[in-house]
Amino acid sequence: MEFLSFIIFLTIATVLGLVLMFISNILGQKVKIVRKNDVYESGVNPVGSATRQYDIKFYVTAIMFLLFDVEIVFLLPWALAYNNAIDKGFLIAGFAFFITVLLVGYIFVINSKALQWEE
Amino acid sequence: MISDIFLTIITMVFALMVVFSKKTVVSAFALLMTMLSIAMIYFQLGTVFLAAIQVLINAGAIAVLFIFVMMLINLEQFQNNREKGKVKLVISAITILIILGVFALIINNNIEVLAVNNIADNSMLLMFDKLFHVYYLPFEMATVLLLAALVACVVITGHEKNAKVELEGDKHE
Amino acid sequence: MLEGILEILIKIVVVLGIPLGALPIIIHVERRGAGFIQRRLGPNRVGPFGLLQPLADVAKFMFKEEVHPTHVRPFFYTAAPLIALVVALLPLACIPLFGTFEFDGRTIYPEVFRSDMGIFYAFAVSALGSYGILLAGWASNNKYTMLGALRACAQMVSYELSLSTAIVAMIFVFGTNDIHGIVGAQTGYWFGFLPKWGIFVQPVAGMLFLVGIFAESNRLPFDLAEGESEIVAGYHLEYSSMKFAIFFMAEYIHMLALSALFIIFFFGGYSLLPGLDLIPTDNAFILPLLQAVSFITKIAIMVWVFVWVRWTLPRFRYDQLMDLGWKRLLPLGLVNLIVTVLFVYFRNQ
Repeated sequence: MEFLSFIIFLTIATVLGLVLMFISNILGQKVKIVRKNDVYESGVNPVGSATRQYDIKFYVTAIMFLLFDVEIVFLLPWALAYNNAIDKGFLIAGFAFFITVLLVGYIFVINSKALQWEE
Repeated sequence: MISDIFLTIITMVFALMVVFSKKTVVSAFALLMTMLSIAMIYFQLGTVFLAAIQVLINAGAIAVLFIFVMMLINLEQFQNNREKGKVKLVISAITILIILGVFALIINNNIEVLAVNNIADNSMLLMFDKLFHVYYLPFEMATVLLLAALVACVVITGHEKNAKVELEGDKHE
Repeated sequence: MLEGILEILIKIVVVLGIPLGALPIIIHVERRGAGFIQRRLGPNRVGPFGLLQPLADVAKFMFKEEVHPTHVRPFFYTAAPLIALVVALLPLACIPLFGTFEFDGRTIYPEVFRSDMGIFYAFAVSALGSYGILLAGWASNNKYTMLGALRACAQMVSYELSLSTAIVAMIFVFGTNDIHGIVGAQTGYWFGFLPKWGIFVQPVAGMLFLVGIFAESNRLPFDLAEGESEIVAGYHLEYSSMKFAIFFMAEYIHMLALSALFIIFFFGGYSLLPGLDLIPTDNAFILPLLQAVSFITKIAIMVWVFVWVRWTLPRFRYDQLMDLGWKRLLPLGLVNLIVTVLFVYFRNQ
């Protein structure tokens, strides 16, 4: 039943988006001017293409996010399990180890200047 | 029942698109859709938590990373280096054989498989209980593994002092 | 079965109708608020106090020409606004406007679908918000949109980390993941006058969450993705008419959904505002109504905070933004988590 509700919700949201998108396609005026469809670069003729190499820091940020996100998501079930656990000390010990490793990794990343955006 | 089959077909179609699509970015988006359809399968089985984690990690982080990489490197220069169709077919066939072998092993040896119908959100807490007692050591080791990945990532992306890094918008031909 | 589907449809109409109906009002408040803060008038020509201005804007968007540039990647270019809107709408399915109540011998839930893991669903789905932006920037095939998309994406993922640490801390403190349980834990008063809101238990986590939702919804001072003085308009530069309006709507709905999550965690969700609980609830419908009024009032205050901050603070520089996310907020979140865990553990010893 939950899944059915979700699917109905998803369908209605998608249909709503599609209707909104095609409403101006139908109602809007259409004037054909060749230069209007060019790349918008503030009135200047475009130089080079848009697919080019960007700074590697964006990539480093993404991979750091992935690693830290996995670690923090591990803590979500831990926080839920802690409240139902009997041997809380055992779970706390594991948490201490976990967070120590996380902090070691964090300090390493910051010290390596991998996320330094300005020299 | 219908939604079972429908979701399976969608997942399979997107998974095949990942392998056989000509354009790399299309492959990456097909991967994202595969992850999301797998999350839908979890959802349909009643485990909203697993679905959320699947969306958060596999669809939210890993797929974003792939798409990022593909956008960051100029793909046109690598377009010719992708494997030709024949090689791809052979690799796919071998992979399918391996997966079938694993299934055969599981069925032959009667390895305990989780009864799918019994998974519900309240039994999620039982799973957590098992994860944080019986399998606590592997759970902790996972962080060490992640630490290793972290170090590797920093080393590979290289932060030599004199490396010439082309910054966004530096080059004006 | 048919009755069940009818119930779902009614819920969906309410859940989608309230944010979409509130959107023109929010935009009007934003403009008038800007005028108020900058000591000018703001829109006041169309209708009384300019109240009909949003309607005029919608009509204008509908009748504008849809420019479809030749250099874009057509499929993804068209799909991007749709993805942005659908992803922004999805978290609303799990946010309860009021508590459960008995009607006709049945228990009525306000959410479109009921799950005790709903809070994770809402959080995970709202984390997908970066895809619409990334796709729009890439498919437009323009340097400005590309830069805007990359910036937005890197910023959103960076601030999601500190947001996650805040959520872990809150779930740890409340000891439950059920939204109704979290709200229930915040009902009542300390010392007879201070509401038991999460913000008084975890002020640091509240601050992290607040900064996180500003960054996630790309609002000033975190709107580097569309910094008009540097990259023109960012990821939606090549979009026109209703497609542009859809990005605009998606941003506001994302903002509303995240504000709702913030209020659930830190300001008691639909728990009654102080004063409203004096009203006798002899009719079964009065309590849900009061709860909905409380929730909507809290969200309205949050929207005003968004407007207020937007027209008060200047934009960050990009390296400052990333430094704030990675070198200030993330360690703060981790330390807050450690302190919370140790405090809870030793208090119960």
